[in-house]
Amino acid sequence: MSKFPEYKHDKSHEYFNRAIKVIPSGIYGHLGPAEGLWVPVSKWPFYSEKAQGTYFWDVDGNKYIDFMCAYGPNVLGYNDPDVDAAALKQLKLGNCTTSPSKVMVECAENLVDTVASADWAFFAKNGSDTTTLAVMAARAHTHKKKMFFLKGFYHGDFQWAQKIDYPGIMPEEVANNVVVPWFNLKALEDAYNACDGDVAGLIAQPYDHGNFKDNEVASKEYWQAVRKFCDEKGMVLIFDDVRTGFRLDLQGSDHYYGIKADLICFCKALANGYNMSALCGGAHMKATVSGITYTGSYWMSAVPFAASIACINKMKKLDTPKMFREMGTKLTEGFVAAGKEHGFDLVVSGEPALFYLRIANDDSLMLHQEWISECVSRGLFLASHHNHFMNAAVTDEDIKKAIEIAEDAFSVVAKRHPEIKG
Amino acid sequence: MTDARTLAYINLYAVLGTLENLCELDSKAKEILWELKKPVTVCFDVKGGPAATIRFTSHGCRMEDGKKPCDILIPVASCEKFNGIIDGVVTPIPVKGFSKIGFLLKTFTALTDRLTELMRPTEEALKDPAFFELSTVMTFYTISVALAQIGNQDKIGQASASYMMDGDISFAIKNGPAATLRVKDNHLITLKKPAENPRAIMQFDNLQLANDLFNGKVNALECIGLGTVEIRGMLSMVDNMNRLLDRVALYLA
Repeated sequence: MSKFPEYKHDKSHEYFNRAIKVIPSGIYGHLGPAEGLWVPVSKWPFYSEKAQGTYFWDVDGNKYIDFMCAYGPNVLGYNDPDVDAAALKQLKLGNCTTSPSKVMVECAENLVDTVASADWAFFAKNGSDTTTLAVMAARAHTHKKKMFFLKGFYHGDFQWAQKIDYPGIMPEEVANNVVVPWFNLKALEDAYNACDGDVAGLIAQPYDHGNFKDNEVASKEYWQAVRKFCDEKGMVLIFDDVRTGFRLDLQGSDHYYGIKADLICFCKALANGYNMSALCGGAHMKATVSGITYTGSYWMSAVPFAASIACINKMKKLDTPKMFREMGTKLTEGFVAAGKEHGFDLVVSGEPALFYLRIANDDSLMLHQEWISECVSRGLFLASHHNHFMNAAVTDEDIKKAIEIAEDAFSVVAKRHPEIKG
Repeated sequence: MTDARTLAYINLYAVLGTLENLCELDSKAKEILWELKKPVTVCFDVKGGPAATIRFTSHGCRMEDGKKPCDILIPVASCEKFNGIIDGVVTPIPVKGFSKIGFLLKTFTALTDRLTELMRPTEEALKDPAFFELSTVMTFYTISVALAQIGNQDKIGQASASYMMDGDISFAIKNGPAATLRVKDNHLITLKKPAENPRAIMQFDNLQLANDLFNGKVNALECIGLGTVEIRGMLSMVDNMNRLLDRVALYLA
C-alpha cells in the first residue's frame, strides 16, 4: 500500500484542453509535455496555482517539493522575501522607462564585483539572447566564421543554436557550426585544422550536462588545456553558464574550473525568477560588444536589476554553492539508498547542485520514467531525462520527505515489476 | 528540398514495398492475384539508386532487397526516371521477360492502381470505414519504411539518424499495425512487425488519429500533451524519428 496517495489532475487537464485551442502545443518548450519529459502525461500537473519556498501547488491543489526550480530560476526559493522586497521597491520607483534606471549601473557593478572574469555586463532577457550575442561578439572580434560546439550542446533555441534537421531551420543557418566531442583535445585540434583556422571561438557549457545520459563533470586540467588552446589559436572561449551559473560558484563556473572565459552567459539563477540575463566578459571584449547592434524592448527594465542585486547578495551571504553541494549530496544519497532497498540501481551523475538521475536496471529509461512519474504524482517533482536544480529554501525536513516519497514510489514500481529483486 | 535519389528509395522500398501488405490485407488485391497461375518475379534495378526484387504468387508478394534472379527485369536509367514510373509519367521498359509482359500490364498495374487508390484516397472513399482503415494501414506501412530510407539517404535525414542511439523503436497504432525501426550504427532498417524489446515507443491512440497525423491535420506534439500519442523510453530516439516523420510528409506529399 502506497503511503502517499496519488494526485489527480482534473483541473490541469481542463486548462490544457482550453490551452490547446489557443496556444500552439498547449505549453510549448521545456515547461510543457511536448519535450517528452512527462511520461505518462496523466501523472503530471500542467499548471500551477501558487508557489512558496521550494514548493509549488498545481491548479488541483496538489503540493510538490520542486527540484526542477522552474528549470533553474528558483535559486533562493519561490517568493524570496528579500528579492521580492527589492523588486517591489523598484517597481514603485519605475520599471520600463525611457531612460534606463540607475539601478542598471549598480547591477552591472555588482556583477563585475562578483564574477571573476567579468569587467563589464550587458543585459538582456533570456539565455538565448546572451549566447547569441556571445557568438556574434566572437565573430566580430576575430573576423572568423566557424564556431565550435561540444557534442550534445544546448545554447538555446535561436536558429544558429539548433540543428540542421529541426523544423524551420535552413542548412545555411547552421552551416558554420562545428561539433567536437567533449574531453578530447586532439579532436579540437583536428577540427581546427580542418577549418583552416577560420574559427571564431568555442561555446560550451561548463560540463557535459546533456539529456538522456549520465552527466560528466569536467576537470580543471581539461578547461585549462582548452583555455590554452583557444589562446594559442586566437579563439574566443565562451562559457554558457545559463544553467549552471551561481550554482557551482558565485564567481562563475569558469572560476570553478580555474580559468577565465572571454565571455560568460548568465540567466537562470541571476535574479530568482525576475526576467533577465547577462553577458559578462573581459575588458578585451568590451569594445567589440560596444560595436554590436543588439537590444530589446524590455532589456533595461529596472525591476529585475534590483532583484538581481538582492539575489546575488543573498547568495553570497548564504554561500549557496556550498549549501547546494551538501544538500544535493544528502538528497541523492537518500534516493540511491531508497532505490537499493527495492532492487533499483539509481545512478546519480553531474554536480550535486544540478544532479542527474537514471535507473540503470534497463537501458530504455522506461523503468526510470515509471519511477519519476510515481514520484511526481505523489508530490516530489523530478524530471525524467534532465538535470535537476537545488534551491536555498530546501530544508532537512524537505529532504527527508523527498526521500520518503522517492522510497514510496520505488515500492510502487517494484510491485509492478516482480523481476526486480529488492 | 527533396532529392531524387532518396525519393527513388522511398518509391521502391516504401511505396512498392507496401504491395506486400496490400496483397495480404486487401480482398480486391487478393482477387487480382488469384488469377496468377505461376509465380512471377519482377526486379527493378535503378542506376545510381535502389534495386529490389518482388516475387508474386497467387497468395501474396514479398520484396527482397537487391537484384535477384527474376522473370522480368526492369532496368531504369536514373532515379528521376524511376520516380517518373511511379508517378505514371514514364513507361517502364523491361529488358527481360517479354513473355510475361501481360503480368506487368494487367496484374501488376491493377495492384499498383489499387495501392494508389488507397494511398491517395478521395474524401468520399474515406467515408467507408473499411476503406478508411485499409487506407490508413497502408499509409502506416509506407511511412514506416520511408522513415528508414530518409534516415539513410536524405542529407538532413542522415543528420537525424546520426543522433540516434542503437536499438529498436516501436512505431505503432494501438490495436492496429506495428513496425520496428531498428537503429544500428546510425543506419536504419524497418521491420514490418511489432518490436519485441523496444528501447523507445511511439504509439498512436487510434486509426483516426494516425490518419489525421499522417495528413497533417493535427500535430504530434499537441497529441503528446493530450496523451493520444504515447511516447516512452529513450525519447531522444523518438524525437529524432519525429524529425524523420516531418520529412516523410515532404517526400510523400
